[in-house]
Amino acid sequence: MSRWSAVHGIVARDLTRSTRQTSRLLGGVARPFMWLLLVGTGYNAIATLDSGLPYRAFVFPGIVVMAALFGGTLTAIATVYDREFGMLRLMLASPAGVWAVLAGRAIAATLVGVFQGGIVLAFAPLVLEVTPARWLAGLVALVAVSAMSAVLGLLVAVRIRSVENFAGIINVVLFPLLFLSGALYPTAGMPGALRPLARANPVTAAVDLLRHALGQPAEIETSTAAGVVVGVTVLAFLLAAGLFDPEKRFFPRRPPGSAPVTPP
Amino acid sequence: MSLAIETGGLGRDYGDVRALEGLDLEVAPGTVVGLLGPNGAGKTTAMLLLATLLSPSRGGARVFGHDVERERAAVRRRLGLLFQETSVDGLLTVEENLLFAARLAGLAGRPARAAVSDTIQRIGLGSRAQQAARELSGGWRRLLDIARATLHRPDLLILDEPTVGLDPEHRDTIWSLLDAERRGHGTTVFFSTHYLTEAEPADRVVLLARGRVVANGIPAELRGELGEEMAEIEGDGAERLASALRGLGSARVVLRTGRGLRVGISGERHAVVELAGQAPGIDRFALRPTSLEDVYFARTRQATA
Repeated sequence: MSRWSAVHGIVARDLTRSTRQTSRLLGGVARPFMWLLLVGTGYNAIATLDSGLPYRAFVFPGIVVMAALFGGTLTAIATVYDREFGMLRLMLASPAGVWAVLAGRAIAATLVGVFQGGIVLAFAPLVLEVTPARWLAGLVALVAVSAMSAVLGLLVAVRIRSVENFAGIINVVLFPLLFLSGALYPTAGMPGALRPLARANPVTAAVDLLRHALGQPAEIETSTAAGVVVGVTVLAFLLAAGLFDPEKRFFPRRPPGSAPVTPP
Repeated sequence: MSLAIETGGLGRDYGDVRALEGLDLEVAPGTVVGLLGPNGAGKTTAMLLLATLLSPSRGGARVFGHDVERERAAVRRRLGLLFQETSVDGLLTVEENLLFAARLAGLAGRPARAAVSDTIQRIGLGSRAQQAARELSGGWRRLLDIARATLHRPDLLILDEPTVGLDPEHRDTIWSLLDAERRGHGTTVFFSTHYLTEAEPADRVVLLARGRVVANGIPAELRGELGEEMAEIEGDGAERLASALRGLGSARVVLRTGRGLRVGISGERHAVVELAGQAPGIDRFALRPTSLEDVYFARTRQATA
């Protein structure tokens, strides 16, 4: 019971925080639409794809994944802030323990990812032909992709000691994951050296899972894409839990006993 | 009945740094115990070890009979924790912060809301319940911290410098609340502080220096070891007067401070005052009751000498 209460508490807190960080929330929602508008419309006129899809329709699943990836990952990475401001220690000192803390944070981050990706997904009929069944399938895929994004965020957070701002994380982690996937262009067209990296990138599988859900041709089989997304989610969560050494989180710079003894 | 805290050779290293040498401690339920010592003495480390947030490098500890390493969840269920830095979420309201704390403590639904409501009334946070925590002053934030730590009515409160940086009014409020917890619920209070006057009413104080226990006892007894009164002597003739007091058989201990000497006095007060009045080169001489600060000076200076 105490574990579920703790998970509930962490999820409720994170969602409340998300709604009060209006600029970040609006930025998270506006970012994919900016990309859809600027990149999607710009390339639509010049890009010709083997699949015959208009570029705007091709890039749409990638943009949904982008919204979920940024929303889920950045919410999970907020764990670093909690560490800096003592809230993480408070959570870890609860009877629920580290698994409940990580699960609560992962669920909350998943919901944020689903919310941000879901807003983009809601506009699917403007870009491509989509049936209610496809829409629903897209939503299910989005939940899986958001969960993967959330635990990837946790994995990043457990090894980061402080975050000055999120721009570094976006530039160093999220943009490479996004650009080295099939979100914006087919991986088949990438240079030979990058193609294996793109294939190994779980975001590529996430994008293809959403493509299948929305009825688009994809490079990775449905079952493989789903297996990669679910597998990476489970593995990343287990890895994050294993790497999450609470002791190291409390004293990022120096142990409390290492301060010089000052005369009273 | 199990002891609230029982440690045996409890120690912790950080690499080559020996933060806590070996703490032997017994704290009876319902008592108030102060942990004192200079910065870096090992106070926070000791508290984090007892709170199951650190693993010992040597020795062990039990909280109400539960091993802090093997029975972490059972230990945590009995604890209320207050860290040096406030642990409140500035984006949440006071009420939301407490509800979050209630859920972390394992309370759900109506019991959680009832505990929050009771705590808000008990701590006097009613007028600020819907205010964002970031809008609170430092004192009110600390009170919110106390509310959070006591919300689930823990059997043991571990408080790391609960009143640091607060004005006297908030400090008084906090100690009144803690006293009420102890009297009303038999809560054991284990706290650290640099405000030594706050430790005077404690049932027991433990003084740490460089990771070692250098004093452990009832405040009155520890003070008594230094003498009934403390003479503060300043001026060029301070050393000569201290020697004269030793010759008189009145000086129990001589402490050097930045401003002069402190001499623990016992016996004939009249003779001491007379001798001081005749002594040359004395800029200031004052007699006052011995305090825990004197104990602190005496024991930590010995330990670091």
